Amino acid sequence: MAQPTRETGPLNVPAELHKRKRIILGELKERTLWFIKLRWGVPLSIAVGTALARWIGVEFNARALLGVACLILAYNIVFYLLSRRIEAEAYRKEDIERFTYWQVGFDYGTMFLLIHFTGGVASPFIFFFIFHITFSAIFLPRRSTYSFAVIAAAGMGLIAAAEYLGWIQHHDLLFQGKAMDLGRQPFHRVVILGFFSGFVFITAITITAVMRMLEKRILDLAELTEAVTELNNKLNTLYTTTQAIGSKQHLEQVFRIVCSELARAMEVQAISVKLLSDDGKFLEFAAAHGLPGEILKHRVVEVAKSPLNRRVIEGEPFVTGHVTHRESFQFGEDLEAAQLQSVQFVPLIVENRVIGILGAYSTRPEQFGPEDLDFFRQAAGLVAIAIENARAYEAIENLIQERSRFMNRVAHNLRAPLAAMASMLEVIRGGYVGDMNEPSRDYLNRLDRRVQGMLLMIHELMTLAKSQSRQPETETKPVNLKIIAGRIQQNFQEEAVKKRLAFEVTLPEDLPEIQGDPEMVEQMFENLISNAIKYTPEGGRVGMTFRPETDETVRIVVSDNGIGIPRSEMSRVFTYFFRASNVQEVIGSGLGLTIVKEIVLQHSGQIQVESEEGVGTSFVIHLPVACQNGLKK
Amino acid sequence: MAVQAEILLVDDDRDFRDALQIILENHGYTVRTAGNRPEALEALKVKRPDLIILDVMMTTDTEGFDLAYEIRKEYGVGDLPIILLTSFLEKVRQQGPDQFQHIMGEAWPARWLFEKPVDTKKLIAKIEGILAGG
Repeated sequence: MAQPTRETGPLNVPAELHKRKRIILGELKERTLWFIKLRWGVPLSIAVGTALARWIGVEFNARALLGVACLILAYNIVFYLLSRRIEAEAYRKEDIERFTYWQVGFDYGTMFLLIHFTGGVASPFIFFFIFHITFSAIFLPRRSTYSFAVIAAAGMGLIAAAEYLGWIQHHDLLFQGKAMDLGRQPFHRVVILGFFSGFVFITAITITAVMRMLEKRILDLAELTEAVTELNNKLNTLYTTTQAIGSKQHLEQVFRIVCSELARAMEVQAISVKLLSDDGKFLEFAAAHGLPGEILKHRVVEVAKSPLNRRVIEGEPFVTGHVTHRESFQFGEDLEAAQLQSVQFVPLIVENRVIGILGAYSTRPEQFGPEDLDFFRQAAGLVAIAIENARAYEAIENLIQERSRFMNRVAHNLRAPLAAMASMLEVIRGGYVGDMNEPSRDYLNRLDRRVQGMLLMIHELMTLAKSQSRQPETETKPVNLKIIAGRIQQNFQEEAVKKRLAFEVTLPEDLPEIQGDPEMVEQMFENLISNAIKYTPEGGRVGMTFRPETDETVRIVVSDNGIGIPRSEMSRVFTYFFRASNVQEVIGSGLGLTIVKEIVLQHSGQIQVESEEGVGTSFVIHLPVACQNGLKK
Repeated sequence: MAVQAEILLVDDDRDFRDALQIILENHGYTVRTAGNRPEALEALKVKRPDLIILDVMMTTDTEGFDLAYEIRKEYGVGDLPIILLTSFLEKVRQQGPDQFQHIMGEAWPARWLFEKPVDTKKLIAKIEGILAGG
């Protein structure tokens, strides 16, 4: 059982919401900083503009304008330094907005000064207000936009009135000695002011309207994205659970995968799996992802004493958004101590049979809605199948092990008497207990042959059983055929020499490795070569040739020019206990080639046999090469 | 041969024991036999042999192994050569050393392992080699 771990990371949903808010806030910050950058150009533009205007003959109070330029430069330096701090620190929406208001305030002040010194209402600078209105309409609350519009319009009105009434001096723009101000008449001024104010407000209204629409769209989009992400998360979880069903996982692995996936997708702190005992009387925690240790102290729950669990087992899900003492929780206090507020339990059902309970726990109150329950039930269906699958898989594994133990015992008990017989035969045949006549010797030799044949058969039956019960996924690795071929050659050289056979192995330098179990591959070659040597008369030839066939397979040919297999028996070559009619004199079990075929199939390979009686036999095998990552192609 | 080398043969199969004893004696060795672990320990107390031949699977599946470890550890005869016999060579060779080492937490107790039925020519050649100091 895996140690439960508590996940304390931030939850996804608030993070997403936060991010959504930050999109707009982040943009505001960007633009505010961009305004500071832009403002560096203003004093310079004023200076250059002043010089240029003077040069073409426009007359005005240049000193006052340059003074304003210096003022802008000064406060922009202050804003720049402040902005550095805002960039470095985690900022709040209010801070950024206030920062923006201050900037706009200062900008407005300097704009009024500029306008005043360049002809009042008739100043060409008057339309620069639009920048700020547009900016605030996009990034600031609507009331700020309208406030800015009101300030701009009112400020201009005030300046116009003050100048007209003579409260402040009017600065004229003169071109070649003539006044440029066509708005000296009060009516003119009112008209200009009226148009200006209208312009400012229309800008404010249209842009805020468009922005409201856009903002709504952005929020809708963000919500949709969030919903899709959540759905995707849940689908992923179901998919992972399905995968866990498909693979031959052990129970613990299944629990580990499923619990952590569910906790992630449902954004809960903990997921538990309680399994029902065979008699249905007890529930035991089989997995608890994220639950605190105190709860797990009571690992086993007696169903009769737990109304809540009993109800869930009877098929009724339990959901609460507020864990209290009065709930029929066994662990109510512990849940409170762990600050778990919402819990949700659904039965784990396979084929109309309840096998346990799946639980989800959250620190947030009222976390689980009807949709969560639906999803949790679907997940529980898959989890239940995964559990049954893993259990079945474990049961099969146990059976295989049991069978293997039994086979070993049988083999030992069959071999022990044969071993004793062989040794006793040797005592007699070796003359250790006196001489014997020729017929006795002949019979004893035949007896010995039969004993050896039986030992061989037991050995091969064991090999066959082993290769058939082998798990194809396990124990495979890249197999170097050169090493195995070398060992085979060494092991059979003596036997070949004894029969005066030519034994040739052809191996190209660039032979790729194959994917498999090296012991079984070696066993396969042993069987083929020992057959070839056995069934090839003295002076014959036995060969083993390897070559890469395609990028994906290696072709191996084991050939001899021995007695061959009768044509009528070719179809039965790989069947159990097959022995060709022309080999009765030679000891054999009739299992060697069955084993070979079994091993080839286990390695996803192919085998063919060609043979002609009296001419020879060749076996052609194709085996898949090993991949880079060590997995089968 | 000046002094006959003495071999202690431990196996619970009397037929096998008798047959191997005759063969070994005919090759000039003095052979004492034991049918189980207590008998073997008794025989070891009486006299130290030059070599032990030990069947792995007797009353229990690992009686021979257990005995080999005991001989290594407790009887002050750690340098006594032991040849193990088994009808399970495949199994022992494949998973034995690691598995038993894992179980016992110690090194493999015997350097030599023969499969039953024993190829007596090879066995005797090995015994000669060991006793000659190999």
